[in-house]
Amino acid sequence: MPSASPVAEASGEAAVPAAQVASAGPVAEDAARTIIGFFCRECAYAAADATGNSRIPLPATVRSVLVPCTGRVGPLHVLAALAEGADGVFVAGCLEGQCHHREGNLSALDRIAFVQRLLESVGVEPERVQMFTMSAADSPRFVAATRAMHATISGLPRLPRR
Amino acid sequence: MPLTARGRLILGSLPGVVPSTTTDGIGCVIVRHERLCIGCGRCVQVCPSAALAESSRFDPLQLYEAPAGTTRGALAVALRRIARHEPAGSFEVPSRVRTFRTIEFDKARCLGCGACTRACPTGALTARPVELCEAGGPAVPADGGSPVRR
Repeated sequence: MPSASPVAEASGEAAVPAAQVASAGPVAEDAARTIIGFFCRECAYAAADATGNSRIPLPATVRSVLVPCTGRVGPLHVLAALAEGADGVFVAGCLEGQCHHREGNLSALDRIAFVQRLLESVGVEPERVQMFTMSAADSPRFVAATRAMHATISGLPRLPRR
Repeated sequence: MPLTARGRLILGSLPGVVPSTTTDGIGCVIVRHERLCIGCGRCVQVCPSAALAESSRFDPLQLYEAPAGTTRGALAVALRRIARHEPAGSFEVPSRVRTFRTIEFDKARCLGCGACTRACPTGALTARPVELCEAGGPAVPADGGSPVRR
């Protein structure tokens, strides 16, 4: 595996090849936080693969989980991830109206909104859970979403866990 | 409230019943065990008099009371681990989220037909004889009901 570029290391990011974006990848030493990303197979995962292939540095905090459609992600997936150690969770799927399974991404959008309200009601920052939509070819948007999520979570205090 | 056509039919077929606008006490008394409800909405679909309805709000406290081993129970376990305080009241649920809604029961509209108790997959609705309730018997079992597996 080629090492990360000096620029990426200085900014706390690691160049992640395609194979690593797909798997969890080694944990970087400075990766204090953990963000779980649920990526749909049709769009977001393809965008993540393209990002890896073009060797664009991504935050090392993000661990990816492949799902057939974002409609598969339920409130329990998100809350369990947060309870088991993740500091943030984001779901990335197809653009609205372009879901390959008709309306899975619309369901996911509403479920994420539901989880945000649930978190808000128990005093947890709702921005820990977010949803992004992108097309399979939109690698820059995937990078922007991942970095935005990393920046948001880095600025939040740690979650209390009992 | 106005009865449905089926409600009037049931009322008319019962001997010695004077038709009234409310039908409280006819058939059986429906008792709800909120903590067992999984929000599937099957009772809402089968209710002939629309006494049961899905509301647009959800109270997270319902999760906390759910029995262990259910999806709602698992959600409560996860939520308790990260919660900073107890849930602060109900909130509006997005339109595509169907199962996390509080089911509202309007007793005045209930015909006591028991269709909801047969449709409920978890035993959250039980039908009890009118006489038992009128005699001052416990409306809700002491243990708050137990989950039914079918």
